[in-house]
Amino acid sequence: MLVIKDLHVSVGGKEILKGLNLTINAGEVHAIMGPNGAGKSTLSNVIAGHDGYEVTSGSLTYKGEDLLAMKPEERAWAGVFLAFQYPVEIPGVNNTYLLKAGVNAKRKHQGLTELDAFDFMSVVKEKAKLVELDASFLSRSVNEGFSGGEKKRNEIFQMAVLEPDLALLDETDSGLDIDALRIVAGGINKLRSPDRAIVMITHYQRLLDYIEPDFVHVLAEGKIQKTGDKSLALKLEEHGYDWVKENL
Amino acid sequence: MNPVEQARQDALSLFKELGLPNKCNEDWKYTDVSRLEGLLDIGGVGADVHSEGLGMVDLDAYRMVFANGVFDAAQSNLPDAVEIVSLAALEASVSGEESKALAKLFHVSGNEPLVNGLTALNAAIASDGAAVCLADNSVLDKPLYILHVSNQNNAIRHGLMLGENAQAQVIEHFISVGEENALSNCVTAVILKNGASLEHSRLQQEGKKQAHVARVEVKQFRDSSYTFHGIELGASLSRTDLVVSLSEPGASCELNGLFVLDGRQHVDHHTRIDHQAPHCVSRENYRTVLDGRSHGVFNGKVVVHKGAIKTDSSQSNGNLLLSNHAQIDTKPELEIYNDDVKCAHGATVGQLDDKQLFYLRSRGICEEAAQELLVFAFADEILAAMSNQVVRSYVEKAAFAKLPHASDLDGLMG
Repeated sequence: MLVIKDLHVSVGGKEILKGLNLTINAGEVHAIMGPNGAGKSTLSNVIAGHDGYEVTSGSLTYKGEDLLAMKPEERAWAGVFLAFQYPVEIPGVNNTYLLKAGVNAKRKHQGLTELDAFDFMSVVKEKAKLVELDASFLSRSVNEGFSGGEKKRNEIFQMAVLEPDLALLDETDSGLDIDALRIVAGGINKLRSPDRAIVMITHYQRLLDYIEPDFVHVLAEGKIQKTGDKSLALKLEEHGYDWVKENL
Repeated sequence: MNPVEQARQDALSLFKELGLPNKCNEDWKYTDVSRLEGLLDIGGVGADVHSEGLGMVDLDAYRMVFANGVFDAAQSNLPDAVEIVSLAALEASVSGEESKALAKLFHVSGNEPLVNGLTALNAAIASDGAAVCLADNSVLDKPLYILHVSNQNNAIRHGLMLGENAQAQVIEHFISVGEENALSNCVTAVILKNGASLEHSRLQQEGKKQAHVARVEVKQFRDSSYTFHGIELGASLSRTDLVVSLSEPGASCELNGLFVLDGRQHVDHHTRIDHQAPHCVSRENYRTVLDGRSHGVFNGKVVVHKGAIKTDSSQSNGNLLLSNHAQIDTKPELEIYNDDVKCAHGATVGQLDDKQLFYLRSRGICEEAAQELLVFAFADEILAAMSNQVVRSYVEKAAFAKLPHASDLDGLMG
């Protein structure tokens, strides 16, 4: 589904990703772990199409197409979704309106008919249950006045409604207490499917107690340094990231 | 000479003395009205202009239509039991003591805040207006919608007097037919007796070449409440002076303003709130969306007089510049002659937020629509304060139509 080859990315003239390679197939769940400043968020932002990053070389191929040639909205239509580390508040833009516009833009792009308000609301209410999001959040402005945990739940709720093929979850577990983590992880697990790839970016192993990954990658100094199964995450937890650095 | 005629004569003398405001006056630093020189004469009043089918046709309201400054009874619809009449008719019918009372509406003093030559000229030449006088404890059961349609110079003067505990909603709407280079000179004087409550909207939507000058002066007594929504979409030059005096304890006012401008439009609101008594509250929230080479001016002055303890006042002004050539001059002014008051103010000037744009696009909203959505949301926060949903929706559509990328945002306003 996504093939990343020798990706080099700079921010403000400083190289952050230094030749990253990664292949992600449908149905797989990947965890990307790494220390602060390793380039984890840079990677997810580049995949989603943020223009603050300069791709100096390498390629991103998504479903056989050059992802870098696509605008952020085109990537969304093609099934890419980023759950933000810090979801932004947008006063005055209704949460449900945003999702309806997003879903219908995607459907239009796929040549499907747009959902009417009634059909859409029944979808939305069902999906909100997935992350135990109170219906009152639907009519509020996007993330405005939401607590940290509510913002993260809202991200996974949006993922459920938008039904992406490739979901990038950028530190979705950070800032969550244990109950919220359980709810969010439960929601993500229900969204696992053979057609969908999920990439979780995280500092901590604890998320992986709830969501079992097929692959664990260690990202440090701009490259994937190690790849393994879930036991790699446990090793990291035990030895810390210095262990990876020492073994470079 | 009867007292009204005398007051008008005095106003004319004052106008001759003051002349047009110019840039030497600090209050007119950013707004050049010299082009109005040739537009001061309202000439032959009552030239034909059709108002049928114009304005907010869906609004369930009492309707008062002024065509080039003259009351058009055929297009109007007024309640029987309440005192809402044409000012010109009232002027022609009163005598004696009543005439003295009415003369107060035409009295202009050069010492009052923000009074200028145009204010005086209005009192001298105003051809008509709405004279509203609600009895104590009466509630106007529907909004009063005052539609002004013009295609030439006009001068109008409204007097809104609400008795004790009276309540009303008044919407003034200004539109023009064709694109004449003309001036609308409008004054609205409001008096709110103890416990009275008024929600007052002014929607200025005149033609591209039109000039619009207005003064709204509000005198509030004990525990009265005044809410103002000033929406500026039209005209090439528009200036409003809004003067509120909170003269007795417990009075409160809320002033909301929104400018959505493009091209070379120039809109200036000078507001002044006088806290003259203890325990009064004022809230002010103005936003501007400026595109093209448009120029917005916001000056919000709050004066807390001696003895006005426990004053609670806040003011905020947000400005969104959509073009490198648009300009905003914003200035909060606080004068406090007291301790024991709570006053806050803040102004921001900015462009659209990149993080918000990226967030929307990452959810599948295309770039142009995302920009428009953010601009609309910014502006709509002001309109959310309107209690009348028909008026709000009309204003939303009209403001929306002025945004740079016309695209499909249906459902947003639901």
